[in-house]
Amino acid sequence: MLERATSGQPSAINRAAADLKARKRRKDRVANLAAYAVLIVIALIMLYPFYWTLITSLEPTGNIYQAKLLPSGVSLKNYVEVLTGTTVPFWRLILNSLIICTAGVTLTVTLAALAAYPLAKMRFPGRDLIFYAILVLMVLPNEAGLIVNYITTIKLGLLQQTNPVIDAIRQYAAVVLPSIASIVGLFLLRQAYLGVPVELIEAARIDGAKELTIWRRIMLPLALPTIVAFGILEFVAYWNSFLWARIMLPDKNLMPLSAGLLELSGTFSTNSRAVMAGAVITVLPILVIFAFGQRYFMKGIEGAVKG
Amino acid sequence: MTTTPRRESRRAQHARGGTGARVTVRNTLIAYAFMLPFLVLLVLYHTWPVFFGTYLAFTKYNIISPPEWVGLENFRTLAADSQFWSGLKNSLKYILVVPVIQILAIGVALLVNRPLKGIGFFRTAYYVPVVTSFAVVGLIWTWMYQQDGPVDAVLGFLGLHRGGSLLNNPFTALYAVMFVTLWKGIGYYMVLYLAGLQAIGRELEEAAVIDGATRWQVFLNVTLPGLRPTILVCSLLSTISAIKVFEEIYVMTQGGPAGSTYTALFYTYSRAFVDFQYGLAAAAGLIIAVISILFGLLNFKLTRGGKADA
Repeated sequence: MLERATSGQPSAINRAAADLKARKRRKDRVANLAAYAVLIVIALIMLYPFYWTLITSLEPTGNIYQAKLLPSGVSLKNYVEVLTGTTVPFWRLILNSLIICTAGVTLTVTLAALAAYPLAKMRFPGRDLIFYAILVLMVLPNEAGLIVNYITTIKLGLLQQTNPVIDAIRQYAAVVLPSIASIVGLFLLRQAYLGVPVELIEAARIDGAKELTIWRRIMLPLALPTIVAFGILEFVAYWNSFLWARIMLPDKNLMPLSAGLLELSGTFSTNSRAVMAGAVITVLPILVIFAFGQRYFMKGIEGAVKG
Repeated sequence: MTTTPRRESRRAQHARGGTGARVTVRNTLIAYAFMLPFLVLLVLYHTWPVFFGTYLAFTKYNIISPPEWVGLENFRTLAADSQFWSGLKNSLKYILVVPVIQILAIGVALLVNRPLKGIGFFRTAYYVPVVTSFAVVGLIWTWMYQQDGPVDAVLGFLGLHRGGSLLNNPFTALYAVMFVTLWKGIGYYMVLYLAGLQAIGRELEEAAVIDGATRWQVFLNVTLPGLRPTILVCSLLSTISAIKVFEEIYVMTQGGPAGSTYTALFYTYSRAFVDFQYGLAAAAGLIIAVISILFGLLNFKLTRGGKADA
């Protein structure tokens, strides 16, 4: 209607409409500017601590905790000190984290992807019971988890020390095992599988495909976006985990990086800059993963709650 | 076996909206084989702790000798322990974070829901603290709080300078740690509220605007009620994690100074992993669990079950 008035006769209505539009545009521009101002202030609050840690870790000397916008000097001395340090075996910690993340993510995703298949697409006695039991477990708070899981780990003999290689494998298992059965992952994957058309699966069954083949050839490819999102979520979780490993592991050589960083802050208390360098090294892989997988990542989070 | 009954049963399944093959012993075994590794670990590390932990709460246990049933003794010990009470008090104080973080997260979500250029950058920036380990976050903020550090500088600039690390002061330490929880958590709830806002859609809001509602009226009468399910989920999550706050405390203050950041879960941790009194620790854990459940129910009631309409 407005359109026709504009192209038709130039009238008072027309001018009023243009006036209104211009005023709205001006109002929008002011609102947008205000929004940007607030957005930038919040971004500074969120990012400055990281930036400050980075520039301070680069400084060779000076007043360490001072607020600043630029480093007073740049050197990699602190990084060299951390990576060649003898108090904490930093390379070993990185290796530990890589092993824990690889084993953890692979096992967590595989087990959830396997377990979710029957719950979504097969009929068997006890299906609903298992499903609701898992639901209840998700809601129940599990404060005793840390204590009882510690006892379980000891009773399973995972902290025994006999020979270095077997000890290492056992202790990695002790770190990873309690987190592998992911209820959230089971839900996410079940949701993804539910969206796969039944006809596809039935056709495959009529063709004589085994269930494992159907799972591998039909379910996994079609659920791939969810699997990737969940895999990224789990990588971040395993990379960042430190509490369980720190409470349980007697051998600090086997700790993951996050837990080792706290060890570093204890032993390097005289050189906070070196610890800051360690913190930067710990954050970097997550930022890289996050930058590449951000879209999947956000979806995974939203799905986890909507699920 | 002929093909006719098979086909019939399949059609029957379709009618019931069922999925998958028929129920046979073979198929049942296959189904359980798929779930077996998951279920074994689930029972061992998720179900077993619930039951064994509850049992331990009524025993004396030090791992070496078998648990010895002591009835309510652990709970009597807790009731008489002032350290436990002050831990509980601090944990309840920590719930102050919940309304603040929810209001800020809704505000931020509204802000980043605007179709502005470069909004993706801001969303990502706000999310970076969420994906960073508590080990790193805790250390960074411990340094930021040091005397004459960035926090001091900002407070001084605002004319609020007290001097000295906020973490070393018994009156401010808990709030300083709470701020870190807030800072780390906002991005997480922002994403959830963003999803909630996008689920509401713009049509209702636009209709309200056409009917002459002001922006504030639209927010109060359309947006906020639409967000109610999300608010329930978010406040539930943040209340429960506030009661169970631990990692920030572990990294930043270890319960100090002068017990001012000693929370209930830190008490549990100390009894178990410092004193090796697993029964007593389990009893404290059980109490925290019950409190979490009660607050969960309260949340449910306050948000009217998260129903979109009052």
